[in-house]
Amino acid sequence: MKKFSFTTELPASDTTVAGFLKAFERVLENSNYRSMLDLYSRVSMNCSRCAEECQIFRASRDPRDIPCYRSALLLDIYRNHFTAWGLLKSRIRGTSPLRESDIEEMAESFYHCTVCGRCSIFCPLGIDHRLIVRLGRYILSLAGIAPKALTVSVKEQTEGATRNTSGVPLKALRDNLEFLEEEIQEIKGAAVKFPLDVKGAEYVFFAPVSDYLMEADTLMGIACVLQEAGVSWTICSENYDAINYGLFYNDEVLETITQSMYEAFRNIGGKKILIGECGHASRAASLFMSHFTNSDIPVVNIIELTARLIEEGRIELDPDAIQEKVTYHDPCNIARSGWIVEQPRRILRSFVRNFVEMDPHGTLNLCCGGGGGTVSVSEFKPYRMDIAGKGKADQLRASGAELVVTPCANCKKQISELIAHYRLPMRHAGLHDLLLTAIKLKKADGEG
Amino acid sequence: MATIDLNGVMFEVDEDGFLQEPEKWTEDVAKALAGQEGVTELTDEHWKVMNYLRNYFQENGIAPMVRKLTKETGVQLKQMYELFPQGPANSACKWAGLPKPTGCV
Repeated sequence: MKKFSFTTELPASDTTVAGFLKAFERVLENSNYRSMLDLYSRVSMNCSRCAEECQIFRASRDPRDIPCYRSALLLDIYRNHFTAWGLLKSRIRGTSPLRESDIEEMAESFYHCTVCGRCSIFCPLGIDHRLIVRLGRYILSLAGIAPKALTVSVKEQTEGATRNTSGVPLKALRDNLEFLEEEIQEIKGAAVKFPLDVKGAEYVFFAPVSDYLMEADTLMGIACVLQEAGVSWTICSENYDAINYGLFYNDEVLETITQSMYEAFRNIGGKKILIGECGHASRAASLFMSHFTNSDIPVVNIIELTARLIEEGRIELDPDAIQEKVTYHDPCNIARSGWIVEQPRRILRSFVRNFVEMDPHGTLNLCCGGGGGTVSVSEFKPYRMDIAGKGKADQLRASGAELVVTPCANCKKQISELIAHYRLPMRHAGLHDLLLTAIKLKKADGEG
Repeated sequence: MATIDLNGVMFEVDEDGFLQEPEKWTEDVAKALAGQEGVTELTDEHWKVMNYLRNYFQENGIAPMVRKLTKETGVQLKQMYELFPQGPANSACKWAGLPKPTGCV
């Protein structure tokens, strides 16, 4: 079998049709995906209403990028191999057998999709293509096909010495936190702490661990907001990574990582889980925490909390701090369902004078073009720039904004690369990066 | 595993060209990797960044925070991209013989 456009840990030649079907069977036995497949495989999927709503198809004009074409790849296999009618029909009429090239096509197709979920909003039959892609990737991964960039990160997180996707040792975390405290002292003239291992804190904070390498301003902004508002919070040395790539390619990985977050949270005796600026990690934790841990722990995204603190008047922001024309990019994983759409806008409108919206935005936003784990796979970069992210680049340019704010590690990386690739006349920042600039710390002014 | 030929010596690299045998790194390796990205001359600024990365990595087992790197070396981010075309993670770390950053980096 020829190689995929992404690198896999196993040699691609080890993947076979039999291996794929076996993996499919295993998933059907151990999950409740069958009811979803039964429903969807009975529905006609030829209307292509989704096509023009998919930014990837609009950029590539390749019919294989139409969401219902992609979903049909998996549903056809289900129909032919795992339903009584399909098996009977193939015995009578003879169906062409599944070929290795079919599996190859699926592998390419399921990783061409950034799993943004926009198509499902427009599907008149209510088909959840995002779920079908997730299932397809799950089966592929059990058959040995998943991008190495994701699987090695997960291996470090679940079995490695550091227990996080970027391999940040505890020693380096401590060094980073100390450095950030010094930086805040320098920038804001106030002593702001990053609490570590405070037992019984109300909020146990999990950032996407890459923030400890890339997003100093986001973390400093979060620490300033929480301390200024008097929130009880802590980072936990047992686990300081919110990232859960299981959401992108494997339900079993999703479960393992969710449970390990819960373990650390329980060991430190916290009351709520607080996720930093990260779309997929927020969605993974909020959707699956209770399901996989049999608990009812509240999962809160930092934007929800900050919006509430502002409404309660617990922090003060300088309305003159940000002079640029600002727009906001909605991360699909927190916006598509309508969960976090209004909160960031309330935050921004409370202190940014010049705020403009992109069209469309909110639940109907366009993806940054790097969703579904694709941003972490360097082989996909040309595709993310020229195809998947093209619609977002056009939208960013049309906004006329000088600063695009997005509260997601994944979107930040993709958007910064789009800005460089398309030479867009703007910069990008996280939401709490702006709050770091605008927040008035009482201790700094000598006010009460 | 792929190998590359740097000035007549073979090195094992991953799919993105990061060295798999960091102990084999020498300054000549850095020069050869830079040359592959079209940078033919390594300046004092280049070495300042790469030496800081190597020392921090030896001490802490990971690359430093980007903000710390720019602060400690005095090389601002914009200049960093001029010195290292693919940026601090994908060029500077690679030339300095550090492993490829994983996760959302």
